[in-house]
Amino acid sequence: MNNTAITSHRPSTWLWLVFWAAILAYLPVLLTERAFFGIPLTNTQLLNLGLTQINLMLISMLGALSLNYLTGCAGLISIGHAAFFATGAMAAAIFDNQLGLPFPLVLLAAALAGALAGTLAGLPSLRVRGLYFVLSTLAVHYVVTYVFLEYQFKFFDVVGIPYATPRIGTFEINTPVRWYALLLPLVIVVYLGLKASLKSREGRAMLAMRDHELAATAMGVDVRILRLKAFGLSSAIASVAGALFAYYLSNVTSEAFNINFAIQFIAMIIIGGMGSLPGSLVGAAIWLLLPSIIAGLSPDASSENAFLSKLLVENRAQLVQLIFSLLVIVFLIFAPGGVAGLSTSLKNRWTAWRNTP
Amino acid sequence: MSVVLDIQHLSVAYNRKGLALEDVSLQVPQGGIVALLGANGAGKSTLIRAVTGLLDLHHGQITGGQVRMLGQLVSGMPAHRLVRMGMGQVPEGRLVFKHLSVEDNLLVGAAVLPRAQVKDGLDAVYQLFPRLLERRNQAAGWMSGGEQQMLALGRAMIAKPKLLLVDELSLGLAPLIVIEIYKQLRVIGETMGTAMLIVEQNAHLALSFAQSAYLLQQGRVVLSGTAQEMSASPEMKASYLGEAKAGKGAA
Repeated sequence: MNNTAITSHRPSTWLWLVFWAAILAYLPVLLTERAFFGIPLTNTQLLNLGLTQINLMLISMLGALSLNYLTGCAGLISIGHAAFFATGAMAAAIFDNQLGLPFPLVLLAAALAGALAGTLAGLPSLRVRGLYFVLSTLAVHYVVTYVFLEYQFKFFDVVGIPYATPRIGTFEINTPVRWYALLLPLVIVVYLGLKASLKSREGRAMLAMRDHELAATAMGVDVRILRLKAFGLSSAIASVAGALFAYYLSNVTSEAFNINFAIQFIAMIIIGGMGSLPGSLVGAAIWLLLPSIIAGLSPDASSENAFLSKLLVENRAQLVQLIFSLLVIVFLIFAPGGVAGLSTSLKNRWTAWRNTP
Repeated sequence: MSVVLDIQHLSVAYNRKGLALEDVSLQVPQGGIVALLGANGAGKSTLIRAVTGLLDLHHGQITGGQVRMLGQLVSGMPAHRLVRMGMGQVPEGRLVFKHLSVEDNLLVGAAVLPRAQVKDGLDAVYQLFPRLLERRNQAAGWMSGGEQQMLALGRAMIAKPKLLLVDELSLGLAPLIVIEIYKQLRVIGETMGTAMLIVEQNAHLALSFAQSAYLLQQGRVVLSGTAQEMSASPEMKASYLGEAKAGKGAA
C-alpha cells in the first residue's frame, strides 16, 4: 500500500523539481531588479532580502550539510566546525595570496587541507567517546584559530587577510549574481553527493554505527576507519566553504571564526533536523535569512504603534538574538527532530487524515 | 567432524574485577549447536566477548589460553575482521539499528558479501522470516521484540557465517516466539551447516535444541556433555532445570 502511494507521487515530484528550478533560476533576477516580471516590489515585499544574504546562506548551507553529515549521520558531535572553515580560509591565503594558484586549484587545495585537518581532528575519536570527544573538538577549534591568528599576524596585518576577486579562467566572480551562479550548483552537487554517499555501503554502515556502535562492529564494520573518513569528508566540505566565505567577504580576520561561528552550525542542524540533509538546508536558510526578515519588519510597525516600533528598531540586534534563542529552545523541546522531523510527522498526520473514511 | 570453534584453556580478566573466566575449554563442531548455560554472572557473556573480539570495549583482556576458528588463531583479532572470516553474531538485547529500515539493517549485515550475492542473501532471509519481508521498509526500532530478534538473526545470517554466536535470544520474548525462532535456527543449522554457540538462561529450552552443552559456574566449566547427559545430570536438575524442589541450598 505504501509502495503504490510512492509511485503515484512520481509525476508530481518532477513538477516540484521544475517548480524549484524555476524559482532558483529566477531568484537572482528578482532580488537584483527588485521587481517581479516588471512589477516593482517594495523592500518589505521582498522580505528585506538581498542576493548577498542568499549567497552567504548558500555558503552556510555547505557548512550545515557537512556538520549534519558528521553529527547527524555519523553521530560525532563536533564544535570544531569553525576551525575547518578557518583551515579553508588559511589554505586560500597560502595557495592564492602567497603561491598564486588559480582559484579552482585553490578550492581543491582547501578541500585537501580540510580533509587532512579533519582526519587529524578525528583521531581522538579512536579512543574517546561522547563528551570527551566533544571537548577534543573544542580543543581543535582553539588550536586552529590560534594558528590562524599567528599566520595572519606573521604574513598579513591586524586588519585581516585580504582576498582577491576569484576568477575562473578570465571570468571574474565579482557580482552577487555570479557568486550565486557559482555557489548554487556547488550546494546542489554537495547535497546530492552526500545523499548518494548515505545510500552506499559505507554510508549505511555509518548510519548503523550511529545507531549502535557495538552492533555495527559485530556486523563487520570497522568503525575507526569509518569515523576518520566521515570526519575527513565533512571537514573537506567545510574547508571549501571556509575558503569561499573568505573570498566572498574579501577580507577575513581570525575573529571571524570564533566559537559563536562554530555553534551557529550546530544551531542550524538542530533547527533543521539532526541527520536530515534537507533539514540542514532549511536550518541554514532560517538561520541566515530570518534576522534580515525580522529586521525588515520593524520599520513597518511604526504606523501602528510608535512604542513597539521604537522598541523594535532600538533593540533590533538583541531581538534577533532573543528570537533565535527561543527558536532553538522551542525546537529542542517540541520538535527534537527539527523541521525535518516536524514535516515527517505532519506528513504522517496528513496520510492518516486522508485514510480515515 | 571438524571443529569450527576451539577454545583452549581460556582465561579472561576485567580491569576492575578479578578473573572472569578461568581455564575454559570448549569446542563447537561443524553443523553442531552447542549451548552455553549458567546463571547470571557465570561468565557466559564474557566468553562470547572474548571470542568475538569485543572484550576491549568492555575493558577486559585475555590473560591465558587461545581461541581458534577453523584452525586459525583468532584471539586478539579486531572484531570487524572476525566477521569477514566467517563469524556471525546475534548480540544480547538484539541491538538492531533502530533508525534504519529492516532491509537496510540486513544490508549492513550483507556488506561483507560480494555485491552480486546480496540479492540472494536478502531473499534467503526473507524466506526464513516472511515477517521481515512484510516489514522491510519499516524502521527496525519500532517493531516488536520478536521481530527485532528475527531481524538480528537475519542480519547475522545474511553474511553466511560458518560460526554463529547467539547471546540470550530468549531475553524478554514471549515463549512461543522464542520456540519459533529456535526452530528456524535449527533449520539454518541443518541446511547451511552453520556451527552455533548459544548462550541461554533457559536451560530447558537450550537443551531441547542443542546437541551438547557446557555449564559455567563462576567462570569455570563445571559440567559438559551431550544434551541428554546434561538433562539427566542431577546437578543440572537441581540448580537449573528446577526439578528437585528446594534440594541443596543454591550457591
